[in-house]
Amino acid sequence: MAAPIRLYMSMSVDGYIAGPDDREGQELGRDGGRVFNWLDDRNGPGINGQVYREAMDTGALISGRRTFELAQRWHGDHHNGVPIFVLTHRFDDDDVPPGTARFCTDVVEAATAAREAAGDRAVMVHGAGAAQALLQAGQLDELEIHLVPVLLGAGRRLFGDRDRNHIELELVRRLEGRDVTHLRYRVKR
Amino acid sequence: MSRLILSMAMSLDGFITGPGDDQDNPAGDGGMRLMEWLDLENAAKVGDFRPSDEPSQIVFDEGMATGAVLTGRRTGDFAGYWGGDHHGGVPIFVPTHKAPEDNPHELVHYVTDGIESCVEQAKAAAGGRDVLLHGAYTARECLKAGLLDVIDIQLMPVLIGQGRLLFDGLDPKHIELDLVRTLEGPGVLHLRYEVRR
Repeated sequence: MAAPIRLYMSMSVDGYIAGPDDREGQELGRDGGRVFNWLDDRNGPGINGQVYREAMDTGALISGRRTFELAQRWHGDHHNGVPIFVLTHRFDDDDVPPGTARFCTDVVEAATAAREAAGDRAVMVHGAGAAQALLQAGQLDELEIHLVPVLLGAGRRLFGDRDRNHIELELVRRLEGRDVTHLRYRVKR
Repeated sequence: MSRLILSMAMSLDGFITGPGDDQDNPAGDGGMRLMEWLDLENAAKVGDFRPSDEPSQIVFDEGMATGAVLTGRRTGDFAGYWGGDHHGGVPIFVPTHKAPEDNPHELVHYVTDGIESCVEQAKAAAGGRDVLLHGAYTARECLKAGLLDVIDIQLMPVLIGQGRLLFDGLDPKHIELDLVRTLEGPGVLHLRYEVRR
């Protein structure tokens, strides 16, 4: 099988990926940084370090526009200079994104280009919007959910209301890190 | 000591029913998918749903060993109060604003003086055993009031897209949990969290 397109997201048990009122200057929402505490171990030898290194070893990135802008466009480099494909409904031709980033209005085209760019490495997906668009287009292969043992109570949900078609998953890996359970699901098709 | 344990099957996208759940369709459209960790063949009463794999049996048997049930009014009404006996003849407590005039079930007790009193009564009746909690709304009330001890989630590997969320309408205040047990059965991941207080 070709290398997968894989969503990487930290999520609370009640389904939130950011606290309420996420915006510029408060990118993770109020107190939303809680779901990223496990990244304190990112350079360590344990499970959390392993999962982080796997993520950083991906060969391309697909992001939603909102995430991209909130993250200050990663100044053109998310990790190791891999190409960044930013899904958006429209963009201004004069607005040339920095570094390896480019705007894409067609989900399938973006997915195809990202797969090609990543070669035998996985493609990382970041952001709820990109995840939904790829799921909808049948282009998302795996979900790596970093499930954090907290109820945030409010904020931005990873999975909003979709259509009512079930998307079946298969749990293919489970790793217990400090303060997080890394669940990898494969999307069944 | 008796603990209050929420036990609910939830999709990865957070739903406990499909859309359009009502009295005639308590699981909502497609919501029975979330019950598939149970043995749904020929099941007439709750005890018949015992799953066939060992990890899920452990979780199921724990539920059946509880000494009382606390259920939301909506969940209880929809389930017809499980024919009046959820399991083993243990009492069923229902927090509500107004008790129905007619209560045909000897084991069902409506409690109208608040969620705290309801939990207290259920724990007292459980005789040292745990209390099993059903229902999303009541779970949230218990969480808000600091009354919930354990959250058992049967995490189902499916995105169902629409329906009733398990956790919705909580206060925007973090509630920290401790993952104390993980059991993996075929097609289900059982996560047990203790609520930190």
